[in-house]
Amino acid sequence: MTEPDRDHSPTASPAPSRPGTTIELERVTKVYGAGALAVQALSPISVTLAPGQAVSVVGPSGCGKSTLMRLIAGLEAPSSGTIRVGGRPVAGPLEDLGIVFQRDLLLDWRDVLGNVLLPAEIKGLAPAAARRRAAGLLAELGVERFAGHYPWQLSGGMRQRVAIARALLPSPTLMFLDEPFSALDAMTRDQMNVLLQQVQSAEHVTTLLITHSILEAVFVADRVLVMSGRPGTLLDDIAVDFPRPRRLSLRETPEFSAIVRRIREQFVRTGDLVG
Amino acid sequence: MTALPEGRPEGRLDEPRAPATGGLGLRTRRAATNLFPPLLSAVIGLGLWEGLVRWFAVPSYVLPPPSQVVLELVGEWQYLLTELGWTVLAAAIGVAIAISLGILAGAAIALSPTVDRMLTSWLVVIHAIPKVVIAPLFLIWFGFGVQSEVFFVVTFTFFPVVVATITGLKSADPDVLQLVRSMGATRQQVLRKIMFPSALPIILSGVKLSVSLAPVGAVIGEFVASNQGLGHLLIRAVGDMDTALAFAAVTLFSVFGVLLWRAAEYVEGRLLPWHPSQRGDFKPGQK
Repeated sequence: MTEPDRDHSPTASPAPSRPGTTIELERVTKVYGAGALAVQALSPISVTLAPGQAVSVVGPSGCGKSTLMRLIAGLEAPSSGTIRVGGRPVAGPLEDLGIVFQRDLLLDWRDVLGNVLLPAEIKGLAPAAARRRAAGLLAELGVERFAGHYPWQLSGGMRQRVAIARALLPSPTLMFLDEPFSALDAMTRDQMNVLLQQVQSAEHVTTLLITHSILEAVFVADRVLVMSGRPGTLLDDIAVDFPRPRRLSLRETPEFSAIVRRIREQFVRTGDLVG
Repeated sequence: MTALPEGRPEGRLDEPRAPATGGLGLRTRRAATNLFPPLLSAVIGLGLWEGLVRWFAVPSYVLPPPSQVVLELVGEWQYLLTELGWTVLAAAIGVAIAISLGILAGAAIALSPTVDRMLTSWLVVIHAIPKVVIAPLFLIWFGFGVQSEVFFVVTFTFFPVVVATITGLKSADPDVLQLVRSMGATRQQVLRKIMFPSALPIILSGVKLSVSLAPVGAVIGEFVASNQGLGHLLIRAVGDMDTALAFAAVTLFSVFGVLLWRAAEYVEGRLLPWHPSQRGDFKPGQK
């Protein structure tokens, strides 16, 4: 965390001027198992992510992109190298972080509002402020009408919106999303991409999106990290500076297509994708 | 909150499924059509019973006609209800103790591998003993009366709750557990906010089973170690060749059992409105 003494009581909207968090990786590797059975999941990766940036990591299945996320989140330790978040080495699960997984992991026995408020209860945030913040987030994500519904009454896209609201409730400076939309149908996924880049801009949260969709990676991000198949290495690092808010029509522009082509060609070259 | 720019994707393609709302009139009519077949078969069955007993002049100490059982129920209602009261009391106290102990023991076993290794095999051994066999021992240990009965009900109804609690607590979604740990949840918070609520449907199915066993346990206890309750009344009625009274007691007992089951289902429905088993009237896509 950049500010250990940061006021944790959430407000209706996060301060837009807050400094955010820098993520630094220095020759980070990950090896699973040992001896002859050892599998190198990540070969040395060094990269620095700027505060408030939206970064996508795109790569084929099994390229170690989820591993990369879990290492930065402090859910696993790297085999070598150092990871610093906000200048401090990562030693355990990061607190100032909201995570969204492919499965929404909503609690069936709580309604939408109750699910969004879960992190506030766990972290002991002031209830009144947390409720205000939850109402704001649900509105921002377009699900305010369903605050009293149970998860089973919602479609997959709606459920994932609630999961994003839950991740953002404590106003973290970091949000990690691990294949959050890969279980959704194509049209819902497009909607969610538009929504995610809006929320990301509004919340000024440093975002790391793990995805295997090149279109999604480019559309949502300020920067795309391209990874090759196992062992995961960084193939390319592309700045994406289209203005925000972005609309889906952006994907039809030649500039957008050029970036997509550049990424696809890397995968064809490495044999991860058949040209 | 931050206002969203216009053109925000509106959820037409992504509408939530609306919960089903049934009209009251429709529900009443459906209940009436559901009740009719069992009522009809009851009338036919009882009519046959009455007719055959009278036709063959079966002595009433062998098989009383239903009309005599009804007369007995009406005539002896005070006596019957008082004895039923004792049975209900013993069953209720016993099952309440069994549920509390069962949940505690189940939680200890599910959460601590040491307790699991120390207790589980012995619980299985004890459970394998036919309870009826040890009922007379309760008479020696706890004496004649309600207390023996209560202890018997506890042994009779303890196991379903323990087993359900263990299974329930162990089936929490590991991904959810990891998520809340990443939020910084303490062990106690994980237990209170995730493991226990997700175990509740399974625990309640064990509780339901125990509750339905409790009156049976109480009556067996009364056969052996009590001079009160429906079980004792039954023994006495049979001894007196007052079969009609015995039938009246049995009838009352089964009515009580049905009411108890319904009550358990009602509580379950109130506690688990979100659970698939409780939202059966809803099908996706239904208006």
